[in-house]
Amino acid sequence: MVRIYDKITPEGTRDILFEETRRRRGVTDALAQLFAARGYREVVTPTLEFYDVYGKAADYLPQESMYKLTDAKGRLMVLCPDGTVPIARLAATRLAGEVMPLRVSYHKNNYRVSPELKGRSAQIEQSGIELIGASSLRADLEVLEMAARSLETCGDTWRLELCHIGIFRALMEELDAPEATREEVRLCIEQKSYAALSDLLAPYRGQAAAAGLIRLPRLFGGAEVFEEARGILSCPGALESLAYLETVFRHLEKMGLGGRVILDLGLVNQAEYYTGLIFKGYLDGVGSEVLSGGRYDGLLADFGADLPAVGFALDIAAATGEVPEGSLPAPDVVLCAPEEEDIAAALEEAQRLRGEGLVVVLSDEADPELALCYAKAVGAGRFAVVTAEEEA
Amino acid sequence: MRPLRIALTKGRLENETVKLLEKLGYDCTAVREKGRRLILPVGDGSLEVVLAKAADVVTYVENGVCDMGVVGKDVIMEMGGTFFEVADLGFGRCRFAVAALAGTDLYEGYHTRRIASKYVNVARSYFEKKQVDVDVVKIEGSVELAPVLGLADAIVDIVETGTTLKENGLSVVEEICPVSARLIVNVAGMKMRKEEIGAFVSAVEREIASRAGK
Repeated sequence: MVRIYDKITPEGTRDILFEETRRRRGVTDALAQLFAARGYREVVTPTLEFYDVYGKAADYLPQESMYKLTDAKGRLMVLCPDGTVPIARLAATRLAGEVMPLRVSYHKNNYRVSPELKGRSAQIEQSGIELIGASSLRADLEVLEMAARSLETCGDTWRLELCHIGIFRALMEELDAPEATREEVRLCIEQKSYAALSDLLAPYRGQAAAAGLIRLPRLFGGAEVFEEARGILSCPGALESLAYLETVFRHLEKMGLGGRVILDLGLVNQAEYYTGLIFKGYLDGVGSEVLSGGRYDGLLADFGADLPAVGFALDIAAATGEVPEGSLPAPDVVLCAPEEEDIAAALEEAQRLRGEGLVVVLSDEADPELALCYAKAVGAGRFAVVTAEEEA
Repeated sequence: MRPLRIALTKGRLENETVKLLEKLGYDCTAVREKGRRLILPVGDGSLEVVLAKAADVVTYVENGVCDMGVVGKDVIMEMGGTFFEVADLGFGRCRFAVAALAGTDLYEGYHTRRIASKYVNVARSYFEKKQVDVDVVKIEGSVELAPVLGLADAIVDIVETGTTLKENGLSVVEEICPVSARLIVNVAGMKMRKEEIGAFVSAVEREIASRAGK
């Protein structure tokens, strides 16, 4: 039989090699340390979850975005598409008796079916945290400070972007318009379709909420956004959320993050999922968001525990950026053991050198000339022949 | 920092966009006299034009190798993706429509209709929304042929004046939506280079508004 697919990987997946694994490990190790130092304890949830775990997530994780398979009993399972839902399941069940708030971190691969030939990955490596059972300003600031420090470990030029979904929700509650229009309004704000949005809302011009919604996607940038927004928004709910967002912003300024924190009141991508702050992180030169998070006080109730929660995750591939091929250092030393009796001595010498922090490889060639050829080919810094007599 | 990069859809939208850029004060001589080059500096070097096929404009902007792009709404609807669609440029106007042989009733009877289109996603999602089962067949060239040859019951295509339809004995059954050129912006770029992109978008908006006022 002719096999067609035995030498390639499925679309959306790829082999991650040498330099890139090293860089990814560097990023994930730094993040793990950062999380651990703030009292976050790591958990590993399974790659396979029952489909029912995501049963109520259809609004933001449509079923066609999940890889599905069945277990031995024919029950439907999914390859885990996100990091947060399994932790909500975990926190609401076996961790329900723990001291609250819970501080949990994770590092895992998520799987999403992505549109064909878009260059997007089906396997998404993520590191993230969740702070469960706390809804105070302190909790939000703790997580935002962590998000900022996490971005800092990934690159020099980064931005942390904030929004409060309460502003959009309050405006939408006030807007008197049919359901179909409302979803279109949300989409126009998400895509910053300025013109389409104002056409769509033209019939509702008289309503104060419509005036606010029309301006919402333009309200992004630095601290000046607050002043502008206060001039436009009139409904008390929106102003309340805006005031909270400003409090958060001022605290972040005090932490010295001023120039790095930006605002976009039009972040309404997952308006059903998030209940408070929403934030995203960007790195210079990376075309998509690197970090994504927010407050989701409704999710744990789906699993029977009405607990507030906030968290974020970093896309490790995006955070690592482009990694040039061949940037991995060569071994420092190549050793050669010409005779069988020399092998033990050579291994001992190799171990001694490794103790000095060197990367040492023992050549598999007995002939020193061939071993030297290998050492030169890999670009080793030093080459030595070790014999037992010498050691004695 | 590298200049802002804008991808233009080659052909008619390119010409219209160049006119727009020139109106905004960008010197587009390099684009007008491009020869075979595909990346061209315009104005004082703060902007760079990339010429691409429509679908590639979306891909380049979505992946962030171009900060902005000019592309038809038809292509955006067909391809989808994550980017900001900040302005309707007002040119390249036409509409998506369902068309069938004149004098036939597309919805008569209970057989599953076969729809020919170059825009298979648009066709599929349109009939999904209408909750009508259809078989969509992808046609690359002149879609009008499909119903004439008996391959399909109807087509989904962009229609400008309707002359081509008429000449082939077809007529519009339903309008799906209007189409025109859009200015799209990469999501991260919008945030990381807000000042420059914001200024450019505002200038474009002012120009469109003044045209609409005329």
